[in-house]
Amino acid sequence: MVESTAIIPGVTLHWAPVERFKQSAVSIQFVRPMNRQEASLNALLPSVLLRGSQEHPDLRSITLRLDDLYGAAVSAMVRRIGDCQTTGLYCGFMEDRFALKGDRILEPMMDFLGELLRRPLLEDGVFREEYVESEKKNIISAIEAQRNDKRIYAAGQLLTIMCREDSFGVPRLGEKEDMAAITPGMLYAHYEKVLRESPVEVFYVGSAPMEQVAALVKKMFAGLVRSVMPMPPQTPFHDTQGTEKTEIMDVAQAKLNMGFVTPITNRQEEFTAMQVMNTVFGAGMTSKLFMNVREKLSLCYSIGSGYYGSKGILTVSAGIDADKEEVTRREIMAQLDACCRGEITPGELTSAKEAMLSSLRTLHDSPGAIEGFYGTAAISGFPMTVEEYGRRVEAVTVEQVAEAAASLRLHTVYFLKGGSQ
Amino acid sequence: MTVTEYPHLGETLHSFTCPNGLTVKIVPRPGFQKKLAYFITDFGSVHQDFRLEGQEYHMPAGIAHFLEHKMFELPDRDVTGEFAELGANVNAFTSYDMTAYYFSCSQNFEENLRLLLEFVSTPYFPAESVQREMGIIDQEIGMNEDAPDSRIFDSLMECLYEKHNIRLPILGSRESIRQITPELLHLCHRAFYNPGNMVLCVVGDVDSQQVIHIAREVLGNERRPVGEKLPAQPEPVTAVCGLVRQQMEVAMPTFQLAFKCEPVGKGAGAVRQEIAADLAAEALFGESSRLYLRLYEQGLIDSSFGGGFETVDSCAMLTCGGDSDDPEAVRDAILAEAALILEQGMEDSDFLRMKRSAMGRRIRDLDSFDSTCFRVCAYHLGGFDYFAFPEIYAEITKNEVLAFLSRVVKKERCALSVMDPCDKKEEI
Repeated sequence: MVESTAIIPGVTLHWAPVERFKQSAVSIQFVRPMNRQEASLNALLPSVLLRGSQEHPDLRSITLRLDDLYGAAVSAMVRRIGDCQTTGLYCGFMEDRFALKGDRILEPMMDFLGELLRRPLLEDGVFREEYVESEKKNIISAIEAQRNDKRIYAAGQLLTIMCREDSFGVPRLGEKEDMAAITPGMLYAHYEKVLRESPVEVFYVGSAPMEQVAALVKKMFAGLVRSVMPMPPQTPFHDTQGTEKTEIMDVAQAKLNMGFVTPITNRQEEFTAMQVMNTVFGAGMTSKLFMNVREKLSLCYSIGSGYYGSKGILTVSAGIDADKEEVTRREIMAQLDACCRGEITPGELTSAKEAMLSSLRTLHDSPGAIEGFYGTAAISGFPMTVEEYGRRVEAVTVEQVAEAAASLRLHTVYFLKGGSQ
Repeated sequence: MTVTEYPHLGETLHSFTCPNGLTVKIVPRPGFQKKLAYFITDFGSVHQDFRLEGQEYHMPAGIAHFLEHKMFELPDRDVTGEFAELGANVNAFTSYDMTAYYFSCSQNFEENLRLLLEFVSTPYFPAESVQREMGIIDQEIGMNEDAPDSRIFDSLMECLYEKHNIRLPILGSRESIRQITPELLHLCHRAFYNPGNMVLCVVGDVDSQQVIHIAREVLGNERRPVGEKLPAQPEPVTAVCGLVRQQMEVAMPTFQLAFKCEPVGKGAGAVRQEIAADLAAEALFGESSRLYLRLYEQGLIDSSFGGGFETVDSCAMLTCGGDSDDPEAVRDAILAEAALILEQGMEDSDFLRMKRSAMGRRIRDLDSFDSTCFRVCAYHLGGFDYFAFPEIYAEITKNEVLAFLSRVVKKERCALSVMDPCDKKEEI
């Protein structure tokens, strides 16, 4: 499905040949360590690159160029993958065969991506101050906007408290104060370092042959002086003393968030069983949490769990009435205990596995999903193809699910409720 | 069964109308694993007022959405669980003008399809479960009250429209849903969950004849009377009120504004107007417009800004929104820019580039099963074949786009809804 090849030192092309889509996708990820010192710089960099190149010095000329390329879309991509943060660009564009006769898209598109990455608009040898300031403001308002979505806000607060000693506690876009302190000079120095040192993962999904794409990627990085600093391996959760915290804000619906830890990460054999466990327990509309806490007991409107395989963290979040905190917590723990005792019906196990298998089977139906799986697997240390992963999911037994559940330990509880301070 | 080929798009559409009135549309996608089926009814939150078998009815606000929630219940069965065991995800949504039930799967497609058709066509509303649902929907209303975007939009509709049911939230209110009874749910089901008012659309690598066969088998051949929606009362094209500002706990002011438009009607003419309006939105405040760049560089808008042309049943509006420190300045700049475009005209090359870009984005969007399935249904209800959009792009002229701008972008047609951060109390 995916072939990988080194283009220049530390630059790897992952090529996924698929003919049946109307669009191709390309991602270019520079891999960085996730830490507070550079999280904001990495978050800001691609947004500033998208403001202007030497040939297309402002937003409008960039957008007009993308309009010429049949409405291609380029966006900043900043991911948190375990202990790594990636910074780069994601691009979706129409396949050449749908263009008017004689028009090409892939080749000019790749050239344009290279231009955006390699020839940014400079003033006095650094990024243009106006662009840096306005993108800082945008990201700061994106960070502040997370406060508007109480569900995202509460989930973020839980991880921040729980992961005080872990890179996972650094927000994906960094902290507001760090962002505010960035100068054009700092960002430009960081940009040069990123180009020089970072491992680069280029991902392509589309119908063009490997040789053609490889040649275009090579051209994109031509003349670059590299001294690659390889990333250290991913680490499991860095433990701290667990805690319980209640915060009061002006909200109608309270949010209960519980964080659990497990030694099982996506580098371990038991990973697949833990994924099945998470699905049985709290992912989707047939999970124990949904069926019991929401449907049977009507304790909440929304409830679900998520498992962060790169760290071995499982979180539960629920939207509830503030006076239901105790009873909802008890019921969530009761459902977890049921999993630990292996009280899982054949129907529950089948539904969970089928839900996972179905999303694995259909992963190859969308360019974005293909990029999302393989474009992060290499970085997070996840060692399997989609097919291998599917085979392992099928083989998981109730006993293995119960063992995975028993490895979970409640670490931190965060509760957000209405009222006045 | 009619088979239509669209070679420029690499698409094929299979269409069939069952004796009971059901429209079936199939978009074959050979080589794909995913199969997606939408079963929709032309009944949304605004269709509260209708006539059935000679009698006129007026439903409480929120009944379409309430009905959607209750459909998932069958006697002694767990519909969601059955889908899950068959490896499918099932879900539904209610919008202003339709209710859609859908599943996606990679296996057991035919069993899943039967289940979808069966549960949506089986009314079962025990009184105690209707009562219990009110609590669940109260929670959902509570979530919307905490979500700035939905509060802004609800207020915008109240500002824009004088009488139309679009003024009322899709969910209704805590008071209005308490008027809902099992009898009213049965009535709405009989009136609108009736094959003659519904569309089944499937996207994926499936056997079309078999889809039609299953639909006929599960739903029968009988044609029953469909509820007749009472026409919306005529509305002036001017907004009721130009501005509404509210406060809640948000980080910075967020706004949505809209220019009220004449309803577009149905058929190819309507789609042409819609595409002209979309292109007008691009020219006026799209990402490659002169105005977007200026507002972005002035810091009056950020990347959250976006907009377009929306049609809902007998309503239509040109709308945009996002975060801004000064939403009123954004509105004024849009009005001024429209006047400037009309004064200066549009270059042919700019217009062509805009068309190419809009077309390219629509073609790329066909990779999405969900968007394709939804659009095939929605355009069918609008009396148009969705895959014919390239022809309309080829024909449309810049004068149509300019005419739209000159008619619509007027201060008296505009309403602006803003959510401001709460006043900061001085700390002592």
